[in-house]
Amino acid sequence: MDKLKLCHLYPDLLNLYGDRGNIISMQKRLEWRGISLELTEISVGNDFIADSYDIVFIGGGQDFEQEILLTDLSEEKKKNIRYAVKSGVVFLAICGGYQLLGTHYKNWNDIQYDFTGAIDIHTIGHKKRMIGDFTFKCSDSALAGLTVAGFENHSGKTYLGGAVKPLGEIIKGSGNNGEDQTAGARYKNVFCSYSHGPLLPKNPVLCDYILKTALIRKYGDYNLSVLNDSAEIAAGNYIIKKLK
Amino acid sequence: MKISIIIANIVTRISTFLLRIIGSGGTSLPGKAGMVFKRNLLQLLSNNIKVVLITGTNGKTTTSRIIAEIMKKAGFTYFENKSGANLISGITASFSLNSTLTGNPKYDYAVIECDEAAFKTVCPMIKPHTIVVTNLFRDQLDRFGEITHTLNNIFIGIKASSDSVVVLNADDSLSFSLAETISNKIILFGLDSPPHGSDSDFLSDAPYCIRCKAPYTYEYRTYAHLGKFFCSNCGYHRHQPAISAGNTTLLQNSSKIDLVIHSQVYSCLLALPGAYNIYNALSAVAAADSFLIKHEVIVAALSSFNSGFGRMEILDLDGTAAHMILVKNPAGLNQVINFLSTDSTRKLLVLILNDNYADGTDISWIWDANFEKIKSFSDTLDKIIVSGIRAEELKIRLKYAEFDENEIILEKNYKKLINFIVSDTADSIPVYILPTYTAMFDFRKALSKKYKIRKFWK
Ligand SMILES: [Zn+2]
Repeated sequence: MDKLKLCHLYPDLLNLYGDRGNIISMQKRLEWRGISLELTEISVGNDFIADSYDIVFIGGGQDFEQEILLTDLSEEKKKNIRYAVKSGVVFLAICGGYQLLGTHYKNWNDIQYDFTGAIDIHTIGHKKRMIGDFTFKCSDSALAGLTVAGFENHSGKTYLGGAVKPLGEIIKGSGNNGEDQTAGARYKNVFCSYSHGPLLPKNPVLCDYILKTALIRKYGDYNLSVLNDSAEIAAGNYIIKKLK
Repeated sequence: MKISIIIANIVTRISTFLLRIIGSGGTSLPGKAGMVFKRNLLQLLSNNIKVVLITGTNGKTTTSRIIAEIMKKAGFTYFENKSGANLISGITASFSLNSTLTGNPKYDYAVIECDEAAFKTVCPMIKPHTIVVTNLFRDQLDRFGEITHTLNNIFIGIKASSDSVVVLNADDSLSFSLAETISNKIILFGLDSPPHGSDSDFLSDAPYCIRCKAPYTYEYRTYAHLGKFFCSNCGYHRHQPAISAGNTTLLQNSSKIDLVIHSQVYSCLLALPGAYNIYNALSAVAAADSFLIKHEVIVAALSSFNSGFGRMEILDLDGTAAHMILVKNPAGLNQVINFLSTDSTRKLLVLILNDNYADGTDISWIWDANFEKIKSFSDTLDKIIVSGIRAEELKIRLKYAEFDENEIILEKNYKKLINFIVSDTADSIPVYILPTYTAMFDFRKALSKKYKIRKFWK
C-alpha cells in the first residue's frame, strides 16, 4: 500500500478555526484511493527532521500563539525547514504558517520578527483586517485556471519576491495584500494561501494536485483515480456564485 | 430631564409594539430608537435595580435562565432580557419596557445576558450588583478577534464597575486570569473532579499559559481546556472555588452532583444534561450566593429548572417532539454531540448552518467539531438532514466524517424541511435540530407559520 507521511507543524499553536479540515481532506482523499497517510505532529520542543516527510502542513495562528512559536523557532529548526523546501518536500502553509515560511514580519509598530526565510516573501502588519469570502484563479498551468473559493481573515500584507510566483490571481477579495491582485504563493513544491481553515475540502482539484505533487516526488509518475466530487464542488460553487 | 426619559420610553414602546404587529421578532430597533432621545437611557433606567449581568462565550442564556429560576423560587421580583437581545440596544429596550414611563423600575432585580463585545460599554452603564463570566472559548474570530481581545473587553467593563461582585470560572485558565487584574469581590465556581458518564473531548483553545506562554499541566480536565490547570513555569494555577461540584455523574437528560456551597454539601439532581450545563448551574449558584439566597432555595430551583430559549427547547409539532439546541462554536457543538451519543433512541438529526453576521461569517469552525463522533452513533439516526445558507459545507463535513453522501439529505427550503420532519416522524421519532443563531430565528419563524410555538419576545 502506498503511503505518504505528513508532518503537522505546530498543531497546537497554529490551529486557527478549521485548519484541521485541510488534513482531513488530504487524508480521506488518499484513503478513498487506497493510499494511507501517516500523521506526525511536531510542536514546541520537538526536532523537525526535514527528510522524514512527504508533506508538511502549517496552519494559521493568533498573535498570542505566534509569540510562543517564535521562542521555539531555533536556528536549527529554521535551517531544517529551509532545507526541506529546497529539497522539494511539499508544503501547504496557511495564514500564519504562510508568513512563517517568509523572511520576516514587520508589525505596524515597526517591530520586525525574523522567520525561516524558506521562501522569498515578507509580511507587513496593518491595523485594518482583510476579512471575508474570496475567490482566485490558479496560476499553475496544470490547474488550467481553476477557480478556488476560500475565507480570508488577516491583517498582514504579504509581498512576493522575484522567484516566488503567486498561487493565483484574485477574482474577488483582498488576497496577499489587497494591492497587486496576487493570491498566495508558489515556489518549488510549496503552496501558500491566506484562505484560512478548510481550503482543501471545497477545492478538491487543488487538493488532488497537491497530493499528486507529493506522490510523484516519492513514486515517480502517478495516476490518481477519479472521485465523485459533486458535493465538494457544490460547496465551493456557493461562494463563487455569491461573489460573482 | 424627566421629560426626555418619558419620550425615550414612549418611542421604545411604540416601536416594540409596531414590530410585534408586523410579526417581527426584532429586538434591537426599539432600544436604538429610545437611545436617540436619551443617550444615557440605559444608565438612568438601571439605576435603582440590582442587576446580574452575564457574559462569556458559552452558556450565557442557560445561566441567565437558571438564575431567574432561583430568583423566582426566592420570591424576588425581576425581569430578563429574553430572546437573545444581548447588545446595548436590546438591553436598553428591555429596561425601558420594564420600567414606568417616568423611568422608575417595576422590578427589584434584573437578569441580563450581555454579548462579550458589547460588555465593555454595557457594564459601566449598568454597574451591576453581580457580573458573571461563564467562560471563554474561541468564537467568531471574524467578529470578536482573538480571545485575548475579548478578555480585554471584559476587563475594561469590570474595571469601570469596582463595586460589582464578579463570578469567575476557576477551571477556565482564560477567564480566571481576570481574577489577578481586578480588585472586585470574587466568587469562584468549578468542578472538583472530572465528570463520570461521558467521554469528553479535549480540543483545547488554551494549551499554553496566558501569563508566561509555557505549556500547562493538568491534574484533571473536564472538557475542552477546562480543568485543574497548573503552570510549572510561573505558578499560575486554578484556585479552589467556593461553589463547586464533586462526584458528578452525567445521565441521559440530567446530571447528579454533590453541590458544594461554601463547604456545605448538597446532593442535587440537575435537570440538564452535559458537563457544560453543570458549569452553567454552578455559575448561577455563585450569582445567587452573591444575593445571599438560601441554599435550600438554590438546590430546589436547580432540580426543577427547565431549559431556556433555544438552547435545549422541546417543541411539540403535532405530536413530534422537536428538540432545538443552538450551536455556534466547536466546543458547544461537541458538547451537544457528546450528549446525543449517550442517547440510544432512534432520531432524526437536522443541522442548520448560516453565515450571517450574527452567526459569524466564517464557518470554518465546523471542521474543528467532532463530526466523526456523529458517525459513531449513526445507527441511531433515522435520517440526517443539512440545511441553512451553508448546507453544502455541512454536507461535505459529514462526507469527510465518512457518512455516505447519498444518505445525507440537503434541504434549504424550511417549509419543505418542516413537512419532511413531521411526515417522516409520523411514528413519533424525535427530531433534534441544531441551528446556528440566525438559523434558529428563521427556522422558528417558519415553524410558527404552521404550529403554535412560543413567540420570540416572551
Ligand atoms: Zn505560566
